[in-house]
Amino acid sequence: MNCEICQLKELEVEHYEIEEVLRCILHTIIFHRALGLVRPKEIDLELFEITYVQCGDTEVEKKIDEKIEQFICWVEKHPNKKSQICLSFYEVKNKQASWFTNKIERLYWEQWYINLNVVQQPKMHSSKSSNSKVTVESGEDSHEDRSVRRTTLEGSLRDVLFQIIKFVNDKKDHVPPIPNREGVISFPYEITIPSSSDSAFGMDMIKRMLQTGHPTMLS
Amino acid sequence: MASSHSDAARMEQIITEFFAKSLHIILETRSPYASSRNFSGEQIVSSPSSSASSSSSVRPRDKWFNLALRECTETLENLDLWRQSNLEPMIVDVILVKRSLDWDPINLSPNPELAKNLSSKETRTNFWNTDQEELRNEGRSEKIVERWVLQYEVRKMKDGRKGGKRSSSNLLSLLYKKSMLLLRSLYVTVRLLPAYKIFRDLNLTGQICSFSLTHRVSSFAEPFTHREEAEMQRFNFSPIDTTCGRLCLSVSYRSSLSDVNSEGSTPMSPQFIPDYVGSPLADPLKRFPSVPMSRGSPSLPFSRRHSWSFDHYRASPPISYSPSPTYSEPYTPASVPCRFPPPGLQPHPHETSNSQKDNASFDEYYPSPTFSPSQSPSPPFYVPGSHISKALLRSESAPVNIPYRKLHTSSLLKNPNLPPSPPLKGSRRGNYRADKIVPPSHLSITADKLLAVGKDDCNRCTGVKISISRCSSRSFHDDFDDSEFSCPFDVDDEDIIDPGSRPESFDQKGHLREPLEPGGLIPIRKSQGAAVGALVDLLQKAPPLSQEHSQSAVPSQMDYGEAHKTGMEEPDSISKFHTVQGCSSSVASSGYHVSKTTADALEELRAYREMKNLLLSQAGSTQTLASYSTVERMEKDTK
Repeated sequence: MNCEICQLKELEVEHYEIEEVLRCILHTIIFHRALGLVRPKEIDLELFEITYVQCGDTEVEKKIDEKIEQFICWVEKHPNKKSQICLSFYEVKNKQASWFTNKIERLYWEQWYINLNVVQQPKMHSSKSSNSKVTVESGEDSHEDRSVRRTTLEGSLRDVLFQIIKFVNDKKDHVPPIPNREGVISFPYEITIPSSSDSAFGMDMIKRMLQTGHPTMLS
Repeated sequence: MASSHSDAARMEQIITEFFAKSLHIILETRSPYASSRNFSGEQIVSSPSSSASSSSSVRPRDKWFNLALRECTETLENLDLWRQSNLEPMIVDVILVKRSLDWDPINLSPNPELAKNLSSKETRTNFWNTDQEELRNEGRSEKIVERWVLQYEVRKMKDGRKGGKRSSSNLLSLLYKKSMLLLRSLYVTVRLLPAYKIFRDLNLTGQICSFSLTHRVSSFAEPFTHREEAEMQRFNFSPIDTTCGRLCLSVSYRSSLSDVNSEGSTPMSPQFIPDYVGSPLADPLKRFPSVPMSRGSPSLPFSRRHSWSFDHYRASPPISYSPSPTYSEPYTPASVPCRFPPPGLQPHPHETSNSQKDNASFDEYYPSPTFSPSQSPSPPFYVPGSHISKALLRSESAPVNIPYRKLHTSSLLKNPNLPPSPPLKGSRRGNYRADKIVPPSHLSITADKLLAVGKDDCNRCTGVKISISRCSSRSFHDDFDDSEFSCPFDVDDEDIIDPGSRPESFDQKGHLREPLEPGGLIPIRKSQGAAVGALVDLLQKAPPLSQEHSQSAVPSQMDYGEAHKTGMEEPDSISKFHTVQGCSSSVASSGYHVSKTTADALEELRAYREMKNLLLSQAGSTQTLASYSTVERMEKDTK
């Protein structure tokens, strides 16, 4: 079974937008892969006029929120950097115990890369924390810029969501058979943020960062 | 082969249910009010993954494709054809219905069908707009904003198909899995398309919009014209191959519905301006356009704010006939017990304390702020004008604790100076003003007193007046003899009076004083509180004003005079008052009484009008002069 990889369109987000954007994208993807009995939950974004769908599983929600929080922490330490969050679906294969280890192998059959470029307002470069004074001083221009940015980001976010939908539609064959398990989530998944300790995955990340020209991404 | 038959049947069932589920997903977000869901944002709380909690409320059809959806009756009504045969394509047209913008605001009957979707509060406030919905059968334009096409294309499959070697159960599983995936993506897609926003707006805001969303489910549809095709975008869901065919789903949608969205909250809906209430920004002298009274009551010739609208802290009145009774009530920060529903529903404008601005359309009701059914213990004090105000009884106001209660009530009520309703009716403005300012019953005295009360406490006076005029005449009748009135001035002045208006009243009083003096009205410059109190007593004691009371008005006048005397500290004023009363009492003929009463009433009206104008004149006094001249004219007319 091949691993289908979907690179989502890069989004330029501000710090305060990260949470909503990530939540929207991650939940949308997971909703498509939550093939257990689902009572969908619609969530309206606050920053954008977009309604996304959650699968309604509280565990999923919790896990996503945790990962987003970790990511935000990471972003704070590495400002103004492009970053990737990877949502992977895998199958668990119990590898036959060998003389190495009795390792459980994960077979990734799908990976989604959420590409974010966290930026800060140019006029706020002086301080990382959003200063109200700075905001006031920046005047109306930044206001306009911000609204333009926001609109652009909303359009891009919609594009990303449609990208997910198209990908889900186009590629169905690689989805493994639905395991007979209780719950909403049919397939195990993991969310990887740049500071992941998964070295193997980290190498992939390094490669991608090298390609995009940000070798210092990994902390 | 039995298994193949059962597999075929099973597959057919999957496809049929796929049609049903697809339609359900589409209609639940395109058919406003159809779903039982609370669209205010409350979602059906997603059940945890535990099957116990979810299975308890899982309907059989929810289990199909593992997608539990909300109830949507529209779906069930439309599925008959495809239950019988899933070979017919299912075409769902989502249609945007626009209505023309001209509406008749006079039509008031609420539409329960439309109102059902509004909260009760909204219903009351927006009721008159629902009528517009009914009226707009002509002038509708329909536009297909989305077209969903779901079709099961059957094809002759060879037995040697690549999937042929696979067990049919595997194929069914694959079909089912892919159907689930497609339906998941459909669920997400319907919420990303532009029509979803319209749907949400229609469901959530409850506003009466100039558009609505409807749908049409059929097995055939006219193809789009080239022009329509050009305006639409298309998204094709990946078809799902089956052994016998393939399941295709596509959507054509208008990517831009901005014109609709912008109209969604146009002023078609009543300008129920929440921030207007209490907003201190309006130009106090801004004139309202003549908005026809939705109640069917004739609109006043002039559109002015209520005299109580002390606009320095009122927002500008909405132009539309707002259900919010922009009835300004500057003096009643603490005492606006009377709450009226929006004007459209009832003759009494809704009033909130301290923050209502009288709409121009409520001018007619000016006279009867006091006539509003008082929900407060505040004085019916205005009874004297009750018979007058009956015609004006569209009171808007809330009863305000009226300091005047105890003063002169009874005597004023017996005051023959109070004109019977016809004379006051004759001049609406006069009535309007009189009622607005002070009950005609005590006009002769009250106005004087109030004017005289004057500079020092003129704010009190005005406040009192206003509160008086706000009293319901009916309640006045009822409460007139009640001893529940405490000394109003002591209690209510601070509550009622707007300090900001004091300067106005001062000036107004000054203005009024001049014209009043010739009429024999006596300004009282000292002990205004006492004077007012005396006046209130007098009024309280006065019987309800009526024609037959004119005979008994003489003694009451005397009583009033005495009461007035006790209250007054200025002998001059008292003597003058007695003079006035004496003149009144000396009148033998009822006609004279009537005319005298009318004149006095008009005087009072004018006085109060002046006061009102003064209060309003913070920003300018053009209207003041106009009204004053109007009062003058009225006086001349009656005299």
